[in-house]
Amino acid sequence: MALGLGTAHAEYTLNLMKGVTKVSNDVYDLHMLILWICVFIGLGVFGTMFYSIYHHRKSKGHKAAQFHENTTVEIIWTIIPTLILVGMAIPATKTLMELDDVQDSEMSIKVTGWQWKWEYDYLDNGIHFFSSLDEASNKARQVHSGIDPRSVPHYLLNVDKPLVVPTKKKIRFVFTAADVIHSWWVPELGWKKDAIPGFINEAWTSVDKPGTYRGQCTELCGKDHGFMPIVVIAMDQPDYDAWVKKTKEDAQKGPDLSDQPRDQLVAKGAAIYAKNCSTCHLPDGKGVPGAFPAIGGSAVVKGDIKAQTNLVLNGKGGMPAFGKMLKADELAQVITYTRNALGNSVGDDIQPKAIQELLPNKAGAAKPEAKAAAPEKAEPIADLSKDELVAAGKAVYESNCASCHQAEGQGMAPMFPALHGSAVVKGDINAQVDLMLNGKGMMPAFGHSLSAKDFAAVVTFTRNSLGNSVNDVIQPSAIQKLQAALPPAQDDE
Amino acid sequence: MSAVVAEHDEHHDEHHHDDHAHGPEKGLLRWIVTTNHKDIGTLYLLFALAMFFVGGVMALVIRAELFEPGLQFVEPQFFNSMTTMHALVMVFGAVMPGFVGLANWMIPMMIGAPDMALPRMNNMSFWMLVAGVLLLATTLFMEGGAPAAGWTLYPPLVLQTGKALPFAIFSVHLLGISSIMGAINIIATIFNMRAPAMTLMKMPLFVWTWLITAFLLIAVMPVFAGAVTMLLTDRFFETSFFDAAGGGDPVLYQHIFWFFGHPEVYIMILPTFGVASTIIPVFARKPLFGYSSMVYATASIAFLSFIVWAHHMFTVGMPIAGELYFMYATMLIAIPTGVKVFNWTATMWKGSMTFETPMLFSIAFVVLFTMGGFTGLMMSIAPSDFQYHDTYFIVAHFHYVLVPSSIFILMAAGYYWLPKWTGHMYNEKIGQLHFWLSVVSVNILFFPQHFLGLAGMPRRIPDYAVQFADWNMISSIGGFIFGISQLLFLYIVIDTIRGGTGEKVSDEVWEDAHKHGLEWTLPSPAPYHTFTTPPTVIPTEHI
Repeated sequence: MALGLGTAHAEYTLNLMKGVTKVSNDVYDLHMLILWICVFIGLGVFGTMFYSIYHHRKSKGHKAAQFHENTTVEIIWTIIPTLILVGMAIPATKTLMELDDVQDSEMSIKVTGWQWKWEYDYLDNGIHFFSSLDEASNKARQVHSGIDPRSVPHYLLNVDKPLVVPTKKKIRFVFTAADVIHSWWVPELGWKKDAIPGFINEAWTSVDKPGTYRGQCTELCGKDHGFMPIVVIAMDQPDYDAWVKKTKEDAQKGPDLSDQPRDQLVAKGAAIYAKNCSTCHLPDGKGVPGAFPAIGGSAVVKGDIKAQTNLVLNGKGGMPAFGKMLKADELAQVITYTRNALGNSVGDDIQPKAIQELLPNKAGAAKPEAKAAAPEKAEPIADLSKDELVAAGKAVYESNCASCHQAEGQGMAPMFPALHGSAVVKGDINAQVDLMLNGKGMMPAFGHSLSAKDFAAVVTFTRNSLGNSVNDVIQPSAIQKLQAALPPAQDDE
Repeated sequence: MSAVVAEHDEHHDEHHHDDHAHGPEKGLLRWIVTTNHKDIGTLYLLFALAMFFVGGVMALVIRAELFEPGLQFVEPQFFNSMTTMHALVMVFGAVMPGFVGLANWMIPMMIGAPDMALPRMNNMSFWMLVAGVLLLATTLFMEGGAPAAGWTLYPPLVLQTGKALPFAIFSVHLLGISSIMGAINIIATIFNMRAPAMTLMKMPLFVWTWLITAFLLIAVMPVFAGAVTMLLTDRFFETSFFDAAGGGDPVLYQHIFWFFGHPEVYIMILPTFGVASTIIPVFARKPLFGYSSMVYATASIAFLSFIVWAHHMFTVGMPIAGELYFMYATMLIAIPTGVKVFNWTATMWKGSMTFETPMLFSIAFVVLFTMGGFTGLMMSIAPSDFQYHDTYFIVAHFHYVLVPSSIFILMAAGYYWLPKWTGHMYNEKIGQLHFWLSVVSVNILFFPQHFLGLAGMPRRIPDYAVQFADWNMISSIGGFIFGISQLLFLYIVIDTIRGGTGEKVSDEVWEDAHKHGLEWTLPSPAPYHTFTTPPTVIPTEHI
């Protein structure tokens, strides 16, 4: 068999990759250790068996012995494997503990799995984008495309926007998913982790060597499970910093909100439809009966444009919320396209400006909250009464806390603890303040994002409302001191 | 009552029961209404053989699509349906019914019983199996296609299934009820119907392994039924067992599923052990080495199967304590499994071996199952499993412990007992040809999948990056040779039923087999009713 064929695209391997992190090398060593132990045992067992098959056969006139047990031998071949297993368990435990330790990470990236793309959120600097299969692979992978996959560079292992990370930095990843379970795997990092809707998983890496590392989704997630690759580019710090700067500048540009004529919207919408909608609704808009509704002749598309826009922006059932993924002009184009193509001719359009007003936070722009809300370094703030603080804290709570802990503080099991009756809230006020300043697990650090007054108000509010009555207060001046002692916000790098 | 039975037995000489309706019904009705364990065993075995080919065709669709990179034949969604249905059909339609068929035929004959304890339920459990599998097959033609979320049916993905979902779930319920009834029948038969001299520790290992398997079935099939019922209510009755937005947890399903799923894989392998332990001593002309340690090892494996389930889920984000526990517990399985392999080797050691087709398949089983066991041990190491999980490495692993293990042993059992069932000898030459084609092609098919997995190819993908092309092509070629070779087995089964080599087989068929099992003390072919009076002397060579 011609094993050399078609290996131009990537190193051809028979074995696990050593990878580019310390952990991946440890995992590789562990793999080789167990493999050799198995080979060694296998040679012993199979060697004995084949010796016996060759010599102890009737055709050679061998007479059968009649022994049928031997306690000593049986004890030996129970104890020796047990000892070998203990020998394997020790390095395995060490490596597992190392993999589990996400502490002291220097930056965090949130990874969200979607059907069928990845969303990356750099939690420290606000960079945010979606990453999906590159166009060349996507064309070639269609049934009967007529394109030879061997002619496509990195076929099925290439994306439009790769994840860029700095080398030699401990990076914490947090994983979740928007629809079904996915699993994020780059073999050269040494692990994979499931991305589960409604839950957060953690893992970490520290890449030793700059380079491009490719992987794929490894949990069956629907029809295009095989078509949502992962590309990680590791860069040395200066290159990474330059990439961050450029990416942020590009993101600042935001959408083009000028009005466009309908036929221009339709023309531009075709490409956006092909990239974002056609995997499910199919390139001709005919959909898949029972799974994905047709666009052509759809009651939604032919109905009220506002209702359709609402559906596209916010999603419904299996339909993802595209308000989070596309910019206002792109949304306007694709909505107008569906209404005036694919067998529909409603003859109306929606302009980018109208969409922009419906979007909660300007999609596509870098998230500005962290910087905007930095506390003013002003003179000490005057003390307030408990009632004043509680009253002011209610509004702060509603805009900052209620989305997770819920309006009445009842929380949302199992992810978001209730504040009503919470041991933290009813306990030491300094411990609660510390938790809110620095965050913990999924709880964000509010130290930089709230002003001292708002911070004090919301702490006091939680302790004296939402069914709690601890009856104590913390003053803005105390918070101000604590905030001054916090390390600077990391989005300045 | 006992007096009546005694009087009845007096007249019950083998050739003088014309006054009773004890022969089979005439015509097709015989097979529909039969309560005879041999008839029902035959039905199960033929059904399993048919489903083996149905599941096999689905496997060939998969291997054809994976022959080359790019999508040549099927849409990705249909590909996913194929992987899902292939697994469900093979597990619930071929392997499990295959062993239930052997149990039906052989357990009464091995323990000196006239029939199964609950003959009418026996009939019902077979026909419910047929109903369940047919219902599952109809989902292929439903709007939205057959289930495509993998045989594990993980939510939330499985909840996106089209119209097929409730039908697939109901089919699982039927299959589960059928299995539970079969298991109850086997336990009742073994506990109540043994010949007086057949004490538990004198039972052939096939009977022992099935007794333990039956308890596993009763313990876990209801768990699976519960899990899929929760899927049903999540989809249609607004519950949120597995939906985080409503306070549920998708990972909960995986815990419940694998609490069923891990014992389930042992349900498919323990009777395999039993058949191998039955065949190897006969052809080594030597008693089985370590009978009692074989029984205890089987029981240990069964026990361990209940406490290792989350090793299928190392990547879901368990706490480290959980990962460590499931890693250690899983590693322990290697000990009793090792004992079994060592015992089989010791049984062959200093024997006087001959290599008829059943022995060839059994030896191949010991070797290739051990290889599957090695990769299993590798995957028990949680940090390494982070790399192996959901790649072709695990596809290779579980196919090694299913195809050249369970399936090969079902073949071995077929060759071993066909002369007893039919009274005819199979064609040994074609049997050996079937063996060599199968054993070579199965390795061409599955061995390269180890390389693919280690090199980074995920499982359950319809298309792949070009660096995986060569091994996929080789694997597909192996798959097609393996698939086509199985037509030889079909030919041999039909040929043997119709007279085989024409040579008259003796009662014991294999040299000195009567020392190894009660079934070889009966005439060949085994009469419609056997052991209407219990045997008084039982063979003990296997102990």
